[in-house]
Amino acid sequence: MAQKMANVSTSDHVVAAHQAVPAILVADGLVMRFATAEGEITAIDDVSFDVAPGEFLAVIGPSGCGKSTLFNIIGGLLGGYRGRVAVGGETISGPHASIGMVFQEESTFPWRNVVDNVAFPLEIAGVPRRERLERARRFVSMVGLDGFEKRYPSELSGGMRQRVSMARTLASEPKILLMDEPFAALDEQTRLLLGDKVLQIQQELKQTTLLITHNITEAVQLADRILVMSYRPGRVKRIVDINLPRPRTSEIVSSEAFGRYVAQIWGDLREEASRGMVDDEARALHAHDHKHEQKA
Amino acid sequence: MAEIGRMTQARRAPRWLSGVVLLRAAIVLVVLLIWQGLAVSGWFYRDVMPALPKIWDALVKLLSGVNFYWNLGVTVEEVVIGLAIGGLLGVVAGLVVGSNAFIAKAYEPYLYYLGPTPKIIFFPVMIMWFGVDSGSKIAMGAVSCFFPIALCVAAGMHQIDSVLIKVGMSFRANPWQMATKIYLPAMRHPVINGLRLGLGVALIGTLLAETKLSNRGIGFLVIQAYNNFDMPRLYAVLVTLFVLAIGVNALVARFSGLDAIKQK
Amino acid sequence: MSAAAITARRFTPPVVGFGSAIFVLAAVEFLIRIGLINRFIVPLPSEVAASFGRVIVEEDILHRFLQTAWECSAAGVLLAVFGVVIGAVMHRLPLFRRACETWVAAFASAPLVLAYPLFLVLFGRSALTIIMLAFLSGLPPVILKTLEGLGATRRVLINVGRSLKLTQAQQFRKILFPSALPTIFVGIRLGLIFALINVVGVEFLINFGGLGQLINDLAERYDLPGVYAAITFVILVSVLFFVTTERAERWLRSVG
Repeated sequence: MAQKMANVSTSDHVVAAHQAVPAILVADGLVMRFATAEGEITAIDDVSFDVAPGEFLAVIGPSGCGKSTLFNIIGGLLGGYRGRVAVGGETISGPHASIGMVFQEESTFPWRNVVDNVAFPLEIAGVPRRERLERARRFVSMVGLDGFEKRYPSELSGGMRQRVSMARTLASEPKILLMDEPFAALDEQTRLLLGDKVLQIQQELKQTTLLITHNITEAVQLADRILVMSYRPGRVKRIVDINLPRPRTSEIVSSEAFGRYVAQIWGDLREEASRGMVDDEARALHAHDHKHEQKA
Repeated sequence: MAEIGRMTQARRAPRWLSGVVLLRAAIVLVVLLIWQGLAVSGWFYRDVMPALPKIWDALVKLLSGVNFYWNLGVTVEEVVIGLAIGGLLGVVAGLVVGSNAFIAKAYEPYLYYLGPTPKIIFFPVMIMWFGVDSGSKIAMGAVSCFFPIALCVAAGMHQIDSVLIKVGMSFRANPWQMATKIYLPAMRHPVINGLRLGLGVALIGTLLAETKLSNRGIGFLVIQAYNNFDMPRLYAVLVTLFVLAIGVNALVARFSGLDAIKQK
Repeated sequence: MSAAAITARRFTPPVVGFGSAIFVLAAVEFLIRIGLINRFIVPLPSEVAASFGRVIVEEDILHRFLQTAWECSAAGVLLAVFGVVIGAVMHRLPLFRRACETWVAAFASAPLVLAYPLFLVLFGRSALTIIMLAFLSGLPPVILKTLEGLGATRRVLINVGRSLKLTQAQQFRKILFPSALPTIFVGIRLGLIFALINVVGVEFLINFGGLGQLINDLAERYDLPGVYAAITFVILVSVLFFVTTERAERWLRSVG
């Protein structure tokens, strides 16, 4: 069922091999190396993929596979990489207007209330006050926080705060929504319910979404396709089409097909995850020996 | 959540409050009695420790005269302007120094190590540059408060949650927007604390300058009383000054504390 | 990253910082020489540098330095001893602490040094005035930090003492005090810094003592380059003092 994706060429009009519509986001031959105390490490190596308009692509991999590096590169916050990222045919060089980022950590502004938080991108863009508050309220409502407009983040739960962050990014009406494990800090039930919310919104807005996650259930629940990454250096190991019906809700997690997809992806991931664990242990041992060498 | 904490405190407060209040009153009473005893004992030369009624008289006389309030106005004006100048320069310097790791490593040590030096020694230089009038006093205040404010702002920059900066960058805010909509609001607590500290040292710097060379201001009143050996008046001015200084500090603390309860 | 690159990364910022300072001085020198800055208000940096030697020899800098150092040490010993004792007593008597802790904090924010004319009357124009002012200014941080340190002793350590049936005195000597020592030292360091600032400041104000008086003397003699040189010297002493106490504190932390 799963097929390896043919490497795409670097021409401007990249056509996704499985669709007849030009891809809205193209990542081509991305390579990122870092200099660390232990020498140079390659975080990601020759990562290429594309995203079609309206598609929900999940990128999943073990810790250390370079997911966050990928997130920061596509979001334009990280430079010094080889390869190119193009949005609507245009190569990016820094944060791009068409890409909206939702971060993993708490990112609401504690000194602004909910509606002012959500209106922030509109404020930056110079939208006049009345209009931007009106537009912001739409998105506050969309994430299900009606009535909380005047509250401050300190008065909300973690899940509600992440919803505010999401509404804020949606308010900038990006062509591509880029999310880095936005629900990582939440408990399972909240995640499933918020996953429902995300599905609703994505279907309503036909929002192209790129979700970075380590949670298989979440990826299969939400995505049209899943990109499985290997452990460092991060490479595209496999791309899986998720042929679950749309529109979807969190009830899908109990279906047989769902279970099969999860098992399949876990099969790929387990190998990478155990490589990661072995590597971690080796590094910890080495650091311990090094410390003892220094003391002696 | 905060309400529950305050409720529990309110229930407990009256029980302890009376003990504390009684003890404080007792301490104050004992100190005053000892003072009065020493004053009338004749052990000290003339007015070095004046009797309490004398001090009280001087206090009343001081506070009922226009002279005091006029001088107070002079000092307040000098302190406010000095704090504004030193504060503005300090905030800008802190923002610049804290914004970039390289700049921080190159220049923050200067702020850090020049901070705990006695600024009053710069006074002769300030007189040369700004004259013998208010200019040199304002300059003293500004120099005094520049360092703690710059350091607090720079430290605040280091402590800003980096994800908030990433949010600003992802929405492509320009540098002015980053500074006013993200950096400064994120640092409101360190900045306010810095300004509180700055107020304290600006006050001291300005007043000391007034005692050294001036013919106006509260500092001048202090040294004038000293020069005339009008001890009751000297005590009266000092007491008033301390009450005012502590009062202003407490007010500012209360004001910034309120802010902290509301958000985070 | 190569060793050379790492060294460069570590030393470039301080070099840039130092270089900027030199650049500013050179710029000031230039602006004065071409007349854009009045040389009777700002002396030539080169003149200031030249007057260093003169000031050191003629003004007997060593003697003045020792005078200031002795005043500072005396104040330091007083504030350390009294501060810790008062802090310990306050910790022992909770009601007393509840009543007085805010007073001590308020005292810390009071401009005590402004009462120097009063101290002049009480103690005369002498080292005692200077020492008393420095001592009282530096006292509050020591008391507050002692209270903080003693109060922050981990519950489990206190319980160890109680399970061994230690008396109050033993509990204090063997558990509370050692545990609070790092914080207490932070307070003493703060107190010492306040003390030094006040010592030099009051020396300047009452025109008596060591380094502070030197600046006053030179200013009254209109020896402008000398004044700048003396101020620079005092700043260097102050910085050295600050750095030394900082290293001492760090060393104490790593050992304790």
